Formats: sequence, C-alpha cells, structure tokens
Amino acid sequence: MQETITTPTMSAPSRSSVSTQDRSSATGHASSTDPQPSKPSVAPPPGKSKGPNSGASVRRMRRIIAEDAEWSLAIVPLLRELCIQHIVKNFQNNPILKQLPPEDQQKVLNHLSPDLPLAVTANLIDDEGYWSRCCMQRWPVCYVAKYGGSWKRMFFERHLENLLKYFIPGTTDPAVILDLLPLCRNYVRRIHVDQFLPPVQLLPRPRSGEQSDSGSEGEMEEPAMDHYQLGDLVAGLSHLEELDLVYGVKDCGMNFEWNLFLFTYHDCHSLAATIKACHTLKIFRLTRSKVDDDKARILIRGLLDHPALEELDLSHNLIGDRGGRAAAKLLSHSRLRVLNLANNQVRAPGAQSLAHALAHNTNLISLNLRLNCIEDEGGQALAHALQTNKCLTTLHLGGNELSEPTATLLSQVLAINTTLTSINLSCNHIGLDGGKQLLEGMSDNRTLLEFDLRLSDVSQESEYLIGQALCANREAARQRALNPSHFMSPITAKGPENPVG
Amino acid sequence: MNPPGSLGVLEEKEEEHLSTPILGPSIHSDNPQERIQARRLRIAARLEARRREALGEYLDGKKESEEDQSKSYKQKEESRLKLAKLLLCGAEFVTNIQVATDIREIHRRVEEEEIKRQRLEKLENEVKTSQDKFDEITAKWEEGKQKRIPQDLWDMLNTQQVHCAGLIEDKNKLISELQQELKTKDDQYVKDLKKQSDDTCLLLERMEEQVKNVMKSFRQELHNIEKAFEVERQELLTSNKKKWERALQAHNSKELEYLMNRIRKVEDYEKQLNKQRILDCEEYNMIKIKLEQDVQILEQQLQQMKATYQLNQEKLEYNFQVLKKRDEESTVIKSQQKRKINRLHDILNNLRSKYTKQIKQFQEENQSLTSDYKRLVVQFKELQKAMRHFALIDEEKFREIWLMNEEEAKDLISRAFDVDRIIHTHHLGLPWTAPDFWFLKNVGPISQQQQKSATQILEELLMQTEEEETEAAASEPESYLDLPKQVSAKTTRKILMLLCDESGFLIESKLLSLLLPLEKSECYLLRLDAIFSALGIESEDDLYKLVNFFLKYQAHHSPSSQEPTSLISALEPAEQIDREGEEEESLVEGETEEKETPPSPRLIHPNDVLKILEAFVMGLKKPRDFQAPVKLLKDVRNNSKDSEYWKALTTVIPDSTQNLWDALYMALEKYHLVLTQRAKLLMENNSLEQQNTELQMLLQQYLGSKINSELQVPPTQVFQVPTK
Repeated sequence: MQETITTPTMSAPSRSSVSTQDRSSATGHASSTDPQPSKPSVAPPPGKSKGPNSGASVRRMRRIIAEDAEWSLAIVPLLRELCIQHIVKNFQNNPILKQLPPEDQQKVLNHLSPDLPLAVTANLIDDEGYWSRCCMQRWPVCYVAKYGGSWKRMFFERHLENLLKYFIPGTTDPAVILDLLPLCRNYVRRIHVDQFLPPVQLLPRPRSGEQSDSGSEGEMEEPAMDHYQLGDLVAGLSHLEELDLVYGVKDCGMNFEWNLFLFTYHDCHSLAATIKACHTLKIFRLTRSKVDDDKARILIRGLLDHPALEELDLSHNLIGDRGGRAAAKLLSHSRLRVLNLANNQVRAPGAQSLAHALAHNTNLISLNLRLNCIEDEGGQALAHALQTNKCLTTLHLGGNELSEPTATLLSQVLAINTTLTSINLSCNHIGLDGGKQLLEGMSDNRTLLEFDLRLSDVSQESEYLIGQALCANREAARQRALNPSHFMSPITAKGPENPVG
Repeated sequence: MNPPGSLGVLEEKEEEHLSTPILGPSIHSDNPQERIQARRLRIAARLEARRREALGEYLDGKKESEEDQSKSYKQKEESRLKLAKLLLCGAEFVTNIQVATDIREIHRRVEEEEIKRQRLEKLENEVKTSQDKFDEITAKWEEGKQKRIPQDLWDMLNTQQVHCAGLIEDKNKLISELQQELKTKDDQYVKDLKKQSDDTCLLLERMEEQVKNVMKSFRQELHNIEKAFEVERQELLTSNKKKWERALQAHNSKELEYLMNRIRKVEDYEKQLNKQRILDCEEYNMIKIKLEQDVQILEQQLQQMKATYQLNQEKLEYNFQVLKKRDEESTVIKSQQKRKINRLHDILNNLRSKYTKQIKQFQEENQSLTSDYKRLVVQFKELQKAMRHFALIDEEKFREIWLMNEEEAKDLISRAFDVDRIIHTHHLGLPWTAPDFWFLKNVGPISQQQQKSATQILEELLMQTEEEETEAAASEPESYLDLPKQVSAKTTRKILMLLCDESGFLIESKLLSLLLPLEKSECYLLRLDAIFSALGIESEDDLYKLVNFFLKYQAHHSPSSQEPTSLISALEPAEQIDREGEEEESLVEGETEEKETPPSPRLIHPNDVLKILEAFVMGLKKPRDFQAPVKLLKDVRNNSKDSEYWKALTTVIPDSTQNLWDALYMALEKYHLVLTQRAKLLMENNSLEQQNTELQMLLQQYLGSKINSELQVPPTQVFQVPTK
C-alpha cells in the first residue's frame, strides 16, 4: 500500500512475466484497481464475473489464484486476516503479539502504526523493521551503523536526546524524562546531547550590556543557572556506555549571552557524582563547556579508579596546567585508553606532568593535545616519556609552538619507538633543521604510518622524503595485515638491525 | 607522501575553484600546483612500482614466470595504490582547512597575546601618568588650602579644574580607545563567524567533491580492474585452450603410439601362440599314444575281471539256490511255530482267566482271612488283657498263697526250732544256736525280682557313689546286690563319667543349653540318659553289658591291643556268661564277689571311648533279636526256684537232729511211760485222798448233824477225827 508510486512501473513487468514476482506490487495494484490486468492472458475474463460456472472453470480459477495472491479479494477475507487486522487496530488497548505464530507476528508488525505510545511498544516489540519505520518517520537522516546497527537503540537514544535537548529546568516537567526511563533503560547505550537549556529568565536582565565579562557575574547567579541534572537518568540506564555532553545552547544567533553557556559548579558536582556512580560508562565527552581547572579537577576526581572508563574527551575547554596535572593523575589511576585535551590552555608544566604519567603508562593509546601551548619544554618532556612508553600509538601535538629541540628529541624517539603509528606536528615551528632531524629519525622507523608536518616550516624535500618512508611503512603494515605469518619474519629480522644501523 | 605540504591558506581557495580532476591531479592542468602534485604522484607511483617490483621479486619469486597472473595483480595493486593515494590526498585536502584554521588560531592567539600585553602596558603607563597627575592635583589641593587670596584660590581652582578635566579626558580617551577596540573585535568576531561559515562551507564542498571524486575513481578503478581481469581471463582462456589443444595433440600422438605398440605386441603374441600350439599338438599326440596303450592294458584287465566276475556270479547263484530252499524250509517251520504260538496263546489266555479268577478268589479269601485275623487279633488282645488281668490276679493269689504257706511253714519251722531249742537246752543240756538261712528271711515269692531300667540304676549308682564319697563308709549290702559282681560301683561310675564326657555329640544341643543351670549330678544323669537313649540302651542289663564291654575291651587291649572287631565276637560269650552269672547269682551269691579285681578305668584312654562305643553298638544289634524269647524263659524259670525254695524249707531241720530227735523221742517215750505210771499212781493217790476228804466231810457232817445231838452217844466222840 505504501508503494502506490511504484505500482505503475511495476505492474508492467509483472504482467509480462506471468508470475507473482512481487507480491507488494501486486497488492498495491490490486487494491487500487481491479485485479484483471495483472492476470495472465491464460486466465479467461469470466474468472471473476461468473467464477462458479463449472468445475473446469473453477479449476482454472484456482490456478490463477495460485499465481495471483490478491485475486481472492472478491471472496471473504480469511478469519486469520480479519483477526490480524483487528489486533493491529486495537493494539494500543490490547497488545497481542507474543502469543501469535511467527508469521502472523510479522504481519502484525508490518501493519502497526509507528505512532503507537511507547509505553505499549517499548518492551514488547523487538522487531527492527518496526523501529526502523519509527525512526524513518521521525528523522529524515538515519545512520544506523552509529548505533550498533540497532534501529530500536537508535530510536530510544535519539528520542531521549531530543527530550534532553529541549528540557528547560523549572518549566519542563522532569517526569517527562523519568517516565521514559523504564521503557528505554535496556536499549540506551549512549547519551549524546549537544545542548542544555538554562532555566528561563522571566525578568529581562538590566545589565545585559555588561555580559562581556561574565566571569564575576556568573558566579553570583549560579544557583539560578543550573542545568538539568543527569543523575537520576544515568542511574536508571543499565547499559549506558557513552556520555557525550555539551553544556551550551545551539542556534542562539544574535540572542547570544554568555549566560547561556554556563557550566556551573553545581552542574559540575552533580555530573561528577553521576559519572562516578555509573560503572558501565566507557566513554565520557564533555566539550565546549568552559570547563576550567577547578571543574576539570572535580570531574577527574570523580573519575579516579573508575572501573570501565576508556576514553575521556575534554576538548575545547579552558583547562590549564592544574587540570593537566589532574589528567596526568587520572592516567595513572584508571585504564584510560584515549585522552583528548585538544584546544585547551595546557602549558609546559601541565605537559610535563602528563609526560611523567605517560612514561610508565601501559593503557593509553591515544593522546591529543592539539591547540595547546606546551612549547618546547613540554614537548621535550613528552618526547622523553615516549622513549620509555610502549603503548601509545597516536599522538597529536599540532599547534603547540614546538620548535627544533623537540624535533631532535622526537627523531631519537622515532628511531627507538616501535609502537607509535601516528604523530601530528602540524602548525608548529619545527624549522628546516628540525625537519632534517626528523627525517633522520624517520629513516630508522618501520612502524609509523602517519606523520603530519603541514605548516610547520619544514623543507619540502624532507617532508617529501618522510612521506616516502611513511608510504613504505604503510605498505609493510598492509602486507603484515594480509598474511602475518609470511611477513612477520623478515620484519622482525629487520627490526633489530635498523635501530643499530 | 606529503605532496601538498607547502599548501598555504590561500592555496585552498585556489584549489576549491578547480574543477575536480577525475583521476586526482593531472599533469595537463592549468594549475601549476596541481601539475607539481601530479608529477610528484607520478614519481611516487614509479618509485612505488619499482619498490613493489623489488618487493614482488622478494615476495613471489616464483610468480615472475607467470606474467598473465601478475597482470590483474598489477592492475589491482596499481589501483589500490592510486586509490590509497587519492584517499590520503583527499583527507589531507580536507584537513588542510582545519590545519589552516589551527594556524590562524595560533597566529591569532599570539597576536592577541601581544595586543593584550601592549594593552596592559599601555594601561599601566596610563595608570602611572594619571596617578602622577592625580598626585599633582592632590598636592595642589594642599597648596590651595594655604592660599588666602581668593583670586589665587580661584586661579588655582581653575587650573585644578583644567587638570582634572584633562585627566578625565585622558581616561575618556582611553575608554573610547578600548571601546573602539571592542568594536573592532566585535567586527572581527562577526568576520570570524563569516569566515568560519565560509570555512565550513568550503569543508563541506571539499568533502562532497572528495566523495564524488573518490566514488568516481573507485568506479573507474573497479572498471579497470574488471577489465584487467577480463583480459586476463581471456588470455588465460586462450592459453588454456592452447594448452588443452597441445595436450590433446600429445595425447593423440601418444594414443597412436600406444596403438602401434599394441599392434606389434599382438603380432608377437600371435606368433608365440602358433608356436605354442604346435608344441602343444606334439605333446598331445604323445600323450594320446600313451593313453591308448594304457587303455589297452586296462581292457585286458577288464576282461580278466569279467571272467572272475562270471565265476563269482555262478557261485553266488548256487548259494542263492541253497538259501532259497533253506528259506522255504524255514517258512514251513515258521508256520508250524506260529501255529504253536497260537495254541500256546490260547492256553495262556485260559490260564490268565483262571489266574484272574483265582486272584479274585484269593483276594476274597484273603479279605475274609484278614477280617478273621483282625477279629482274632482283637480277640487275642482281649485275651491278653484277660490274661494280664488273670496273671495279675494269679500273681496276687499266688503271692497270697505263697505268703500263707510261707507263714505256715515259718510257723512250723519256728515251732520246730523252738522244739529243737527246748530239746537242746532242756533235754540235752546243749547250747542251741539258731540256724541262719536266706529263705528264712524271705518274704513273698522269690522270682518277683524286677528288671530295673538303666536310668534307675544310674540314679541309684550315682546317688550311692555320692554317698560313698561323702561318708566313705562301708558299702551297703543292699546296693551291692544290684551291681554286677565284677564291677565295683566306682569303676562303673567312672566309666559312665567318661562316656558322658566323651560322647557329648550324642546329646542334642538344645538339651545341653537346658542342662547348664542344673546341678552337676543331675546334669550327668540327664546327659547319660540322653546318651543311652541314643545308643539304644534300655535296661539294666544293657548298661552292665556296656560297662563290662568297657572293661573287657580294656583287658583285651592292655595286653594285646586287639582290634575292636574281635571284641564283638568276645561280646557274646561275655553276655552269655553274664546271663549265666545272673542265674547263678542267687546260688553263688556272696562267694563271687571278689572274683576279679576290676581294672582301673583310668587305663581307658578317652580317645578309645568312641571306638568302644562303636564296637558296642555294632555288637548290641544282635542280642536285641533274642530278647523276646529270653523274657519268656524268665517266667518259666521261677517255678523251679519255688520248688527249690520249698524243698529248702523242708530241710530246715537237718537229719542228724532228726535222728537225735528220734532217739530222744524214744527215750522220752520211755520216760513218758514211767511218768504216766507215776501220774496214774498219783491220780489214784489223789482220788484216794479225795475220797478220804470226802468221807471226812461226810463224817463231819454226820457228826455235826442234830440227830447226833439227839443221839445219846454222838458218833464224833466215837472216833477221833484227825484235824487238819
């Protein structure tokens, strides 16, 4: 029925091929017009008008019935079909599904409306087809792979996200979300919210002109500016693995006020308690939320010795050296695998403490310090740490005011280290000599696959040559991945030679 | 692989105008940068190809020979590399924007910092100068206070005002400057926003382009690869076809060769076959001749055999004739026999009927006889009962009579003894001793002695021995009477004890358990009782037999250690002796008491007891059969004893005394005569005296009578009557 558009195109081939190749097209066609055109030429026209004439004609009719599923429309529909229709019609009041035989279940599911209340459907229906229809109806763009291929999970996660996004503390009823909790608790694995609305200010603010320096103003009004507290919700979700939050307002346009982007201390404390209590959490992202040192420390204190946390993303915040130190402490007190502190204000001391933690860490795989200002001191400390570290594979130091001394140390690291696969040094002041040294280091390396040196004042020649070396490494890695048994031996044989020579 | 390393921020804009090349950057592009990039790509590809070749050599050295295989492989590798490069370039191309913004941000930050620093410096300077000015002004206030002249004061105030105004103006200027800066910053922000949106747009565009590019190139590469595969397949097909044909040809030629070989071989074999045939024919002929000879010989033998056969046949025919005749004879005899059998059968039947009849008759007879017999038995029983009754009565009568007679006899005897004593003492003046005979003490019939049962004896024995032990006194004569002569009570007891101890197996276990709480003697008694019942010892005799047997055995064994079998034979005579001994017992009693000193029973070894018992039981079976007649004999025997007894009674007074009595009688008779005479005389005397007295009395009477007194002369005076 839903394919009324396709019927005209599909009817022609069905008529020509004499077989019921597509039932849905046939149903669509049959319901729209009379079934005769879809019938093959073998069937005589009296098949429908004067069917019960003689045994032979009935038999011929029979044959036609077998070929055309919808021909039987003239006859009274089956009781089974009627029952199914009735069930579908009254599903909201009397949901009968599990008691039905599988084929009927499928039929019922195919005909259920996606607008049914969630209280009925949430825990009853597991059919992906139904949930995909629900999703398709609500959102034009659906990318299921992002949700582990589960339409149901996608539906609930996005539904919850929508609710959270437009939740206004003080005006919206918190029961709206808590009512949903028992329905979605088994399906939601990730909460991704890129906006938290502040409570509505009824009185127009008199000092709206002075919002440029809101640091002092914000603290005064903090109690009034608290956002929605996730505590209850997160505690109720038993499979929550990922928390991706942005404390800010989207699409504010010219109504911009600093006030809209306040991550208050109260928010911070409650969030820290929430993530501490959630033992299934694996990924925690809090970006673009003006998290400063103190708040970062509060959050990280909550995350110390967390049993499951693997990824921490605090990019695009205001974290300084103290926050960096806290992150370094977290590195040695958890099983963190990915740490992202991009676009913060970490300087040399923070980087040094991170490097100190990194030197003996065996969990961290990826470290991102893009757009910080660790400078050569921090860079050197990190390079030293990498000489002993045997775990880190990805390092992003783009835009950190690094220069030649760091490059020299890194070239030594490159010669020794066999775990790093990706380094990003773009937007630094490596300089020509630094580039040459890196090239030297690169000539002894067989594992690095990516090395970004764009816009870092390196001579084109060395950059090109480094690119060659990377290509070779990539090729080797590919071969290794293709058939490890054959290629392990030459590489391991080569491995020890190269650092020596 | 970092070709666009030198790409600047400006470059990106240029690039975004470029119509996206189908296969990445092309050498013929208008853009020099792109041309450079393309050339670099080419160089890289060549290098890569060289490297790959080297690698390929290293990897699959064998595969080098097969060019067709590597064609698709090459194509695949090529496209893969191309695509990888494309992706890499694309990624770089896209991320360039980010990098550019990053660096812009860094620059901005640096600038910002610088400006900030300058601003701070400027502010500080301003603060300093304004402070100076302010100080100046405040200093002037002091000055002003000292001024007394209003004009001066006014002037000063004016200047002060001017100064203040200047200060405020300075500040205002600063403020306006800062505000200006803020405005510019705002503008900057708006610009930045625009830039950002531009950047994002650019990013999107590039991404889209990239996607399109990549898709296109992927498609093309796929197409290329497919083509390469197709070509390779075709080549492979043709080569395979060629190979197939070659192989087919080779196969055909080989087949031909095989055929030729085969034909040759067939000819060879044919020749060989012919040769073989000839050889075989010769051999066949030889064998044929030999076999024919053999056949002749065999035929001769056959003839001979036939002759013998003829002979045998005749002989057999003769025999047959003889046998036929015999057969006939036998048939005749058979018929005769049959007839006989028939006759005999008839007789047999008759006899059988007779026999059955007789059986019936006899059965009837038997029945009548049995009924008779039964009746007789009943009668006999009744008779026996009567007999027993009578016997009892007879016995009683007999006893009574006996007692009566005995009493009479004893009276007589006592009288006789009295007489004898009187005679002896009174008449002969001899001392008289009363004779002591057994029969004098006997009361009742002698033969009434009863057979005591074994157990009774045992009891007695045990009791007696116990008494003996306790008292250790002289044995009672009464008890000794019961025991057999040869055996003392002690030995018997010992033997019995031994028996009791050794043959406990004869006692039932139940009984044993019951016996436990009893007294020793009682226990022994019951045990022995059980043993005797098991052995079949019933009567006193048997017991004595047993004891004797033991002793005998001992006696036999101690000197000669004979076998117990010989003992059995010895048993019978012993019994007879016993029996005789018993008969004699009454006569020879007392004298035989110490005939044998019984051998100490200690000599009997406990181990021998069983053997002895066995022998005894074997021996005991025989005498059992004789017991019935023996009992009858005992009844008859009593009579003879009676006569003896009575005879003995008659001869209580011996002949000598009788003779004495006779003599005495004679003398006494004479004496009696004398005495009778004397008695007569005495009588006469007495009668005379009596007459005298009577006469006296009469006289007295007469004398004393009144008549006398009346008479003149009384008679009394006449005679003198003697007074008494």
